[in-house]
Amino acid sequence: MSASASPAAGNDPRLRPAGRSRLSLTLRLTLLFVLASSLVLLALGQLIGRSVEHHFIDLDRDTAEGKLATSAAILGALRSPTDLDRIGRDFESMLIGHDGLAIRVQDGSGRVWFSSPAAEAAPSAARPAGPPAAASSGTPHDSVHDLKHDSAHAANHGASLPIAWVHDGRTFRGLERELASGLPEGRPFRVTIGVDTAHHDHYMVSFRRTLWSFMAIAMVIMGALGWIVARSGLSPLRRLGKEAESVTAARLDRRLTAGDLPVEVDELANTLNEMLARLEDSFRRLSELSSDLAHELRTPIANMMTQTQVGLSQARSAESYRDVLAGNAEELERLARMVSDMLFLAKSEHGLAQPDRHPVDLQPLARQVVSFYEALASERGLALNVQGDGRVEGDRDLLLRALTNLVSNAIRHAAPGSEVLIGIDDLPSDSAADLAVPDLVVPGLVVPGLVLRRPLVRSPLVRLRVRNTGDTIPPEVKARMFDRFFRGDSSRQHDTEGAGLGLAIARSIARIHGGSIDAHSEDGVTEVCIDLPATPMGPRSLRRD
Amino acid sequence: MKILIVEDERIAGDYLQQGLREAGFAVELARDGADGLHLLLNESFDLAIVDVMLPKLNGWAVVKTLREAGLQLPVLYLTARDDVEDRVRGLELGADDYLVKPFAFTELLARVRTLLRRRSTLAESTTLKVADLELDLIRRRAVRAGQRIELTGKEFALLELMMRRQGEVLPRSLIASQVWDMNFDSDTNVVEVAIRRLRAKIDDPFEVKLIRTLRGMGYVLEAAS
Repeated sequence: MSASASPAAGNDPRLRPAGRSRLSLTLRLTLLFVLASSLVLLALGQLIGRSVEHHFIDLDRDTAEGKLATSAAILGALRSPTDLDRIGRDFESMLIGHDGLAIRVQDGSGRVWFSSPAAEAAPSAARPAGPPAAASSGTPHDSVHDLKHDSAHAANHGASLPIAWVHDGRTFRGLERELASGLPEGRPFRVTIGVDTAHHDHYMVSFRRTLWSFMAIAMVIMGALGWIVARSGLSPLRRLGKEAESVTAARLDRRLTAGDLPVEVDELANTLNEMLARLEDSFRRLSELSSDLAHELRTPIANMMTQTQVGLSQARSAESYRDVLAGNAEELERLARMVSDMLFLAKSEHGLAQPDRHPVDLQPLARQVVSFYEALASERGLALNVQGDGRVEGDRDLLLRALTNLVSNAIRHAAPGSEVLIGIDDLPSDSAADLAVPDLVVPGLVVPGLVLRRPLVRSPLVRLRVRNTGDTIPPEVKARMFDRFFRGDSSRQHDTEGAGLGLAIARSIARIHGGSIDAHSEDGVTEVCIDLPATPMGPRSLRRD
Repeated sequence: MKILIVEDERIAGDYLQQGLREAGFAVELARDGADGLHLLLNESFDLAIVDVMLPKLNGWAVVKTLREAGLQLPVLYLTARDDVEDRVRGLELGADDYLVKPFAFTELLARVRTLLRRRSTLAESTTLKVADLELDLIRRRAVRAGQRIELTGKEFALLELMMRRQGEVLPRSLIASQVWDMNFDSDTNVVEVAIRRLRAKIDDPFEVKLIRTLRGMGYVLEAAS
């Protein structure tokens, strides 16, 4: 029992699921908190980055569209092919003050009428993209991007500014459009406008860097805040733990103070308190048991000591020595029986006594008990009868022992001249009694049993009852009559009462068969009933009667 | 009849030896499993009483070696621990038996006699006779000094048991087990009452009493010596 209440129980590996890391709850909560807020921050950062980038693309596009409109105006102003010589100047003037602008004007045949240096590498729908463009540029860095094949990130970009190229290490993005001119036949020109995105890209890079570093700092702060929050949130638990530390075997009556705790912890505290109450009860019963046991041992030992020492105190006849020894033998036999009964009870309560499972017909069993007690009953003027039949699955010897104990008890308390009746009845399933689950005892821990309420029990039961007429059992006796060492009348002699283990053994046997035991006493009629799960009656097996 | 006791506990061994000797057996005592096995393999015994918990070689091993050597003498196991009981019970106890400590010496004596009797294949007689008391097993009749005595079924079974084992002290638990098939420590009052009733029929009307009570031991039926 010591382990259940000692503070060391917390370190007991049995209480910890194997294979689980042992992060503290605070750390766990903090990490989860940081993880959750990081995810939100990351999503937010991504969103902000995207929208800023979009904004820049829109700006670039507006610029390019503006330049296209100007170009359309210039081209629309052309009246004759000779005006074409002029457009170089007009487009040149467009470039003034726009360092990051590239313009190229081509006609339908692909002839270039104007091109700023940066626009030379721009791809064109008018001629196949690729080597010619690269060849026209003197810079080996120049290349053509076909944004249709670019990454998804750029695809967005490409939708509004569909062409891109690199010139002299600068990335240009732009538009190409066919514009009608004022020339006869409306001869169209293909105008390509490119905007250098470098300063925007630079801005984006530094913007992202700032964003991510802020986020990193934010995560650290979140972590710290999370830790503080988790710690203060868990303080009721720590308080509970401290209180629980003060509960020891000697102070099992201590309870955790619930009430002012948060709801969840309050529930836990109540559950723990209930567990403590059950433990206290088991513990109390266990210590009562040891003191009872000591008392039970004391009497026969005292008897033996007295008669042996008195016998030895002076020389006696062989006859007197024989008497002493015979007295000792009787006491010792009683002790031996008590010890084996105690062992049986301990075994069955530890779940070690597994009953055999065979069909047992109860009427032949009852008749066997009757034949055993017949002589004793008739000496006391008692009639001993059997009524009914039923079959259960179980250990015949154990059931016989249980019934024997009940009958022995009934005979002892029966009024002279009355009847002791062994009844065997089927209980229909809808009136099935509560099913008792025995206490579960593992070394160091007792989990008290419980009683399952009626609706859970569906299988039919057989009731084995022993009825006698005599004194009505007072309620306080009824409550304890199945306890070990309990004797209905403390003034009774040991010789006739036994050690007071008979009914406790009967209860144990009922329980290990999945049944229950109960007593009813009214108007001088006392009935002790064992309810056992029934087995359908088939042809009667041929068993000893 | 020669019996070997293999028992490491000094007091228990000594008293078992003394008790069995006084009951008329030739008894040898070994203090550990190795000695016991040696004696069993080299001398001829009719029965071995073997404590399960033994130094050097435990009781199981002793008997296992014994059986492997082809020796079929009956063995009575003694165990102190309850959990050993199950294992003993699980054994093929056709020729063997066991007792859980603490046990009554009379019980041990009765078991020893039963085990030894199982081996003898003497033809069963159909009538039992002790002094002037006769029991006809076929017609299920008891006659003493020419007088017919009416007995109930269980009284007859009890008397038959006591007459078959005349001169032996029968502990009450043995009687309960043999007559009523109650194989656990049950109400001993019942046996007392049954004996008293039997006495009322076969002893009380007659001068010579056959059934004797040995306080603290049990009952014995014998012709007065």
